[in-house]
Amino acid sequence: MIDRNRLFGIPEVDGPVATALPPGWFALLTGGSASGAPLLAKQFAHAGTGLLPVLFYTTYERTIDVRRAFEDFGWDPTAIQIVNLADEYYERVLVRGLEVATAREKGLTLEQLSRASPAGAVGSAFSLTSRMLSDLASIDTPFRLVLDSVDFFFEVLTPNEVTTVARQIRYRCQTIGGQAMIAVHSRAHDGRVLGALEDLADIVVDLRSVPHGRRYEHALAVEKVRNRPDLHRIYRAEMREQGWQVDDAATPP
Amino acid sequence: MEAPAEPVREPPTTSQGGLMAPATVLDRCATGIEGLDKILYGGVPRGNMVLVAGSVGTGKTTLCLEFLVRGAERGERSLFVSVTESSDKLIQNLSTFEFFRADLVTDGSLTFVDLPVLYDRLGLEHEELTPDEIAILIRTLRDLVRSMGVKRLVLDSLTSVCYRIRRDERIRDFMLRLGQELADAGCTSLLVSEIGPTPGRYSLHGVEEAIVDGVILLWNARRQGDILRVLQVIKMRGTPHSQAQYVVELTPIGMLLAPHLKGGRPENGA
Repeated sequence: MIDRNRLFGIPEVDGPVATALPPGWFALLTGGSASGAPLLAKQFAHAGTGLLPVLFYTTYERTIDVRRAFEDFGWDPTAIQIVNLADEYYERVLVRGLEVATAREKGLTLEQLSRASPAGAVGSAFSLTSRMLSDLASIDTPFRLVLDSVDFFFEVLTPNEVTTVARQIRYRCQTIGGQAMIAVHSRAHDGRVLGALEDLADIVVDLRSVPHGRRYEHALAVEKVRNRPDLHRIYRAEMREQGWQVDDAATPP
Repeated sequence: MEAPAEPVREPPTTSQGGLMAPATVLDRCATGIEGLDKILYGGVPRGNMVLVAGSVGTGKTTLCLEFLVRGAERGERSLFVSVTESSDKLIQNLSTFEFFRADLVTDGSLTFVDLPVLYDRLGLEHEELTPDEIAILIRTLRDLVRSMGVKRLVLDSLTSVCYRIRRDERIRDFMLRLGQELADAGCTSLLVSEIGPTPGRYSLHGVEEAIVDGVILLWNARRQGDILRVLQVIKMRGTPHSQAQYVVELTPIGMLLAPHLKGGRPENGA
């Protein structure tokens, strides 16, 4: 039986938080380097399978690596739709950048000038925003969406444009009952930008790793549940066979 | 096969009076438009960069195309760089003239390049070109001319390029450098300048006409209800030339020029 309150597949977190959320909501997952946040993003995607159509947008991993990470934890990668924005961006923007650099450096032959303009070069400039939002617009049933991560968007869009994308995703979630999670590096951006994203989010979850002796200990913090500050909590997190789990009784690091 | 050279008048020199040494006679690039070559005493001095200025419908593009076709017939590789019209459309229009030979395009003697494609390949997408981008544009055109051995080039239009360069000092620099590169390659060029019907100016910014070696002006004059196309060579460095006005007839066999008789009073003109 499908558990409709399944957020991450972490019972101690899912139970209290899921019941406090409206039908459509938007979550922010923050974490620094080596925090394990990307795996939590995948775990969130997996937890939605069988319940909702799941879209997983990756911006820095190869699709094959995303699939392998799913398989390592026994999660079915075919149950989600993986969209590799980094590959699309490379194929449509960065490759063109290389071609332009070559043309500028080595010149152009008549043959290169005779060929018809490549499809999608000038006429249809690639827009990360349009690419993602057009997918969203085509969904008319409740969905689960993961964007791992929005950091890439900051490389090509202004902070205001990024928050506009987040606002659009949130609006879509609210109107058709979607569940979206955007992952963001907790220390890579200006505090005001991160603050704006946190403000938009209905839930903010932070995953952090803390050095302890010769190893790292992890903490999962539910930093925000909209209108339910009583649910904010820090858990000791551990990596187990089924992914991230928490020990409710243990003292967090 | 190379067409026989048309007989032209020798340019007048001060030596004809027998008092001074003959002036140096520059190598000419015969336009192949008989009347124009007569005005220029044999053609445009080779390597010159010439502005062909005029308002819409005055025959600028036709003059330039005939210049290239006649050159290609003489074995001079010719290149038409088009900004405003696609090559396909130009060739289609050109094919209505009897002087056009499709085989010149097929064998590569006459080549058309769309500047928007070149912009695209070079990533020149900004509305206003930066100095670096202008340098890239010049270098690319230079390399193309050199690698193809182009001896005649038409840019239709310079005005469209200048819209993207915008600043006078950059336009001046662009034209000086382009002119130098083309001259070094022995390439004679015609640059089309789109101007309004208002007389007294031959280019969009005004700096273009000061840089070029020559200005050929075309305009429409009204006379007794008719519109006459009129041509006048305003300036041409390196050669004496007539400054008289000539009526232009665009015929299937090419551009014909006849002296502009001043019998009637023009209703407007340059």
